[in-house]
Amino acid sequence: MLAYLVRRLLRAVTTLLGTTLIIFLLVRVVPADPAVSIAGPKADPQTLAKIRKDLGLDDPVAVQYGRYLWALAHGDLGRSYITERRVTDVIVERLPATALLALASLAVGFAFGLGVGIITAARQGSAVDLGVLLGTLIGLSLPAFWVGNLLIYLFGYRLRLLPLGGFGTLRHLILPAATLALVEFFFYARFVHANVSGTLGSDYIRTARAKGAPPMRIYLRHALRNAMIPIMTLLGLDVAALMSGVVLTETVFNWPGLGRLAVQAVFSLDIPLVAGTVLFSATLVLASNLIVDLLYGVMDPRVQRG
Amino acid sequence: MAEAVGGGLGVGLGSARRSRRLLAAGVVIVTILVLVAAGAPVLTAYDPDAIVVEHYTAPLPPHAGHPLGTDTLGRDVWSRIAYGARTSLVVGGLAMAISLAIGVAVGLVAGYFGGALDAFFMWVVDLVLTMPTLLLLIVLAAMLPPALLTIPLVIGLVGWTTFARTVRGEVLSLRERDYVVAARALGASDARIMVRHLLPGVLPGVIVLTALGMSGAIGIDAGLSYLGLGVPLPTPSWGRMVSDAQTYFAVAPWLVVVPGIAVSLAVIGFNLIGYGLIDVLGTRRP
Repeated sequence: MLAYLVRRLLRAVTTLLGTTLIIFLLVRVVPADPAVSIAGPKADPQTLAKIRKDLGLDDPVAVQYGRYLWALAHGDLGRSYITERRVTDVIVERLPATALLALASLAVGFAFGLGVGIITAARQGSAVDLGVLLGTLIGLSLPAFWVGNLLIYLFGYRLRLLPLGGFGTLRHLILPAATLALVEFFFYARFVHANVSGTLGSDYIRTARAKGAPPMRIYLRHALRNAMIPIMTLLGLDVAALMSGVVLTETVFNWPGLGRLAVQAVFSLDIPLVAGTVLFSATLVLASNLIVDLLYGVMDPRVQRG
Repeated sequence: MAEAVGGGLGVGLGSARRSRRLLAAGVVIVTILVLVAAGAPVLTAYDPDAIVVEHYTAPLPPHAGHPLGTDTLGRDVWSRIAYGARTSLVVGGLAMAISLAIGVAVGLVAGYFGGALDAFFMWVVDLVLTMPTLLLLIVLAAMLPPALLTIPLVIGLVGWTTFARTVRGEVLSLRERDYVVAARALGASDARIMVRHLLPGVLPGVIVLTALGMSGAIGIDAGLSYLGLGVPLPTPSWGRMVSDAQTYFAVAPWLVVVPGIAVSLAVIGFNLIGYGLIDVLGTRRP
């Protein structure tokens, strides 16, 4: 187990280093001049030169990358060009809104997806199964920004039941969470269905059936339990999908989270803020993948040798 | 690690009969889409960028002259939808071509040669998969100069990893087969073995991934256009049509509803083809 742990941690660290390199290169190839986005388009050349010198933009690229890593090692993501606030502070400020939205939609989508996935796996070939399959194929194809707009129109404008957007109360959470949960739901319904019906064909299920175990017990106790390992793995990987999902949803609903922050930062060429949010999301994804892998190693010892 | 997920989304649709029907439905949808895109000049009465309403007051709802109404600038919505199909297919197709080229090449080389090369490429794949895709795409799309090719390039540069992973996995099992060993014994070069003997074996999986990737690319392109990062104006794009019209939703709902349906249909069509083919081609889960 220890060897597995060390190997896995080492890989996570090299991946994280690679991520910082990609982000650094991405930010360095920007055609736009950061000095201009700080001082404005009308600034005189001396001011621009001074800003460039202060930011160290004239140093060799390797030196800049080293300085970037050094700052990161000290937990310093730099300061926003526009507001001059520390990027870490801004991220910490925006994180709760995104976490609330992501966790709420994940909880709802996962719970319903799990239930529907088990039911359709138990009733394969039935009308319910086919209906859910078609619903999933269609549901996963609808663009989230469009679904969000339809929900706003229907529940916000027509029925006047819920606010059109913004943040604050539980009522504000319902529509954006529903938009995001819809995709999560279809995703898990399909995945749980596939994995549970996969295990339903195994010998030990036949044995359980032959013993006369009640169907409910077979589905929940035997089939679901074995299908839980891949399902749990997917939950970890889903963090990446959620981090992408919140970007569009937050934009549609004016939700003050990390996704909208990143989009705004990109549009205002606020490089440190862009780099900071991308690195933060990547680290989150990396950490969740690592946790899932380690759990996986605990649950299924064969993995450790892989 | 992601291999542990097993099926991922790449599970078939159940019975072969059901798969063939859904595949047929997908082919019909995509054919219509291609016909609309190709025949846009014939099928539409107006230039997609022309303001066609005299004495403009408000967007006109669908009626005889304009089957899908007119938009907030007084342009014909049907024309913009039809020409938007071109944008979607071209962007999706180019993005897929780039993903396919990089992914298949990397997968073949990594799987065939193995060793340090394989380890390095798979590390890069892991790296790209760790990055939050949409954020990465937004950053790239915003920072590269806007052009028709920017978006396909950006989607392709991020999307090749799935191809590489799948092709590599297939090659790992194929390269030990007798016919490959025989080819090597006969003195066939590495390049010849990869292209002549391994490539045909990975094709079914690659075809499935291409169809699924096409739907993904069209969806992502719509999302980027919605954020204002798609193909530069005035080229019509469905995602942009939604974002341009969303503040007018209350007065002109069709302006938001119609392009959204167009995106959904395109994505559904390619998804049906991809999932349908999994069972029909008898491929393993990609």
